[in-house]
Amino acid sequence: MITKIGKTAIELAKNITGVFSLLVSILYWAVVGPFKGKAAARQSIFSQMIFAGLSSGLIVFFVTIFTGIVLAMQSAYQLQKMGAVLYVASLVAISLCRELSPVLTALVVAGRVGSAIAAELGTMKVSEQIEALETMAINPVRFLAVPRFLALFFMLPCLTIIGNISGMLGGYLVGVYSLKINPDLYIQTTFKYLEIKDIYTGITKSFVFAVIIALIGCFEGLNTKGGAEGVGRATTRSVVISFILIILADCVVTAIFYFSKI
Amino acid sequence: MSENVSKEEPIISLKNVSKYFQDKKTIDNVSLDIYRGETFVIMGCSGSGKSTMVRLMTGILKPDEGSIFIKGKDIAKISSEELDEVRKTFGMLFQYSALLDSLTVEENVALPIKEHAKLADEIIDIIIKMKLSLVGLRGYEKYYPSQISGGMRKRVGLARAIALDPDIVFYDEPTSGLDPVVGGAIDKLIKELSEKLLITSVVITHDMQSVFNIADRVAMIHKGRIVDVMPAKVLNNSSNPYIQQFINGRPNGPIDFFKEDINIEEIFGL
Repeated sequence: MITKIGKTAIELAKNITGVFSLLVSILYWAVVGPFKGKAAARQSIFSQMIFAGLSSGLIVFFVTIFTGIVLAMQSAYQLQKMGAVLYVASLVAISLCRELSPVLTALVVAGRVGSAIAAELGTMKVSEQIEALETMAINPVRFLAVPRFLALFFMLPCLTIIGNISGMLGGYLVGVYSLKINPDLYIQTTFKYLEIKDIYTGITKSFVFAVIIALIGCFEGLNTKGGAEGVGRATTRSVVISFILIILADCVVTAIFYFSKI
Repeated sequence: MSENVSKEEPIISLKNVSKYFQDKKTIDNVSLDIYRGETFVIMGCSGSGKSTMVRLMTGILKPDEGSIFIKGKDIAKISSEELDEVRKTFGMLFQYSALLDSLTVEENVALPIKEHAKLADEIIDIIIKMKLSLVGLRGYEKYYPSQISGGMRKRVGLARAIALDPDIVFYDEPTSGLDPVVGGAIDKLIKELSEKLLITSVVITHDMQSVFNIADRVAMIHKGRIVDVMPAKVLNNSSNPYIQQFINGRPNGPIDFFKEDINIEEIFGL
């Protein structure tokens, strides 16, 4: 029993140090690499951006618009009792920008892109492709992890902004067509209470989530062991771990903003 | 060949190398010299440590004891930048080719050139065409690895391995999983490349046909130890019981691979 706990603890510590050393080497190749003439291939960054960003746009749109609709209906149910239905607009906008849109977008992207990264790199690992890169003196972190990391780092905030807008659109649909609020008034109320800091706290979160998704996906992929089953395990682990870490990081970042009164 | 090369400085030299995997000694105190221009075959059963040997020589794995010199540099002790410099002078053909699935045939061959040589695209194009015609695959430039056969993938892997005009090429089971004709063609390619381009070849295989086709010298490895090293010409006449058992494929002998595993009499209660 005790040995089992000890082994698990050692395994966990190994994984944590592994993730951090991967982060350090990704940052090294992303920031210092270009000055040494060893930048990641631009073409591969762009193709990853299309995969991670552009292709995720539609699914993010749908997830957040429905969330906006649900949020508007649920808050209208509460606010009607106080005769404050108009405030549905600002409630939807603020809760989306500060919280729901960054988190939901990150979860969608973790499920869609993070798992794909883990599966792709995992397959490359078990079919000796990573080893082949190493023997060709091509650093796999620079060649594979950095483009994926950069693509997610820039695309997730963009997707979050799409999520903000489409979520507010969902709220607008309920507010105007079901609650019969005047469209102009709805928009006015939305932006009256929505401050710029609400938006940038949300965007800040999405940068943190992007780092988590890319890092966990790459780590699990590059450390895959044992054939097709191993690839499956790596993919599942990457999604589960990313989900947990996203929620955890959300809690921590929100607390930081809350207690520092930003 | 082996008679006159033995006085030269070896291009690859292993000195008392050992490697452990979870307390199990996979490579046990191996010393070996490989000379410039020769085709050196390491043969042995599955699980004998052949693949580990080649991974030690390419620097993928680090030895736990001993040192490995490639062109006089101890690759276990040098920095990763220096190791990369050494790696640029050798190529490797993997057992399952290990081509990048997301790249076409020509992009796969171009990859090491684009990464390490600052050349104009037109020149790279010419080099790719040259390398692909060396392995007889002109016209397949735009195919993806999943669209071509296993033998063709091996040949693309070979074209990629020689893309940077290496001094040394490592071959990990070059003929495994191929039919005898394609296997023979690969053997012929290996032989031609080492003769035409003066490449030192280190081949890992358990395909005896291939050994007799290409080898200058042969090392037999069993349970992580070198059993014997000899010129390929005298292989058939060797008195070493391990080598005799291996080249004749006899189940009984000093290599007791199956002894503990299969006891039919016991299984059927006879």
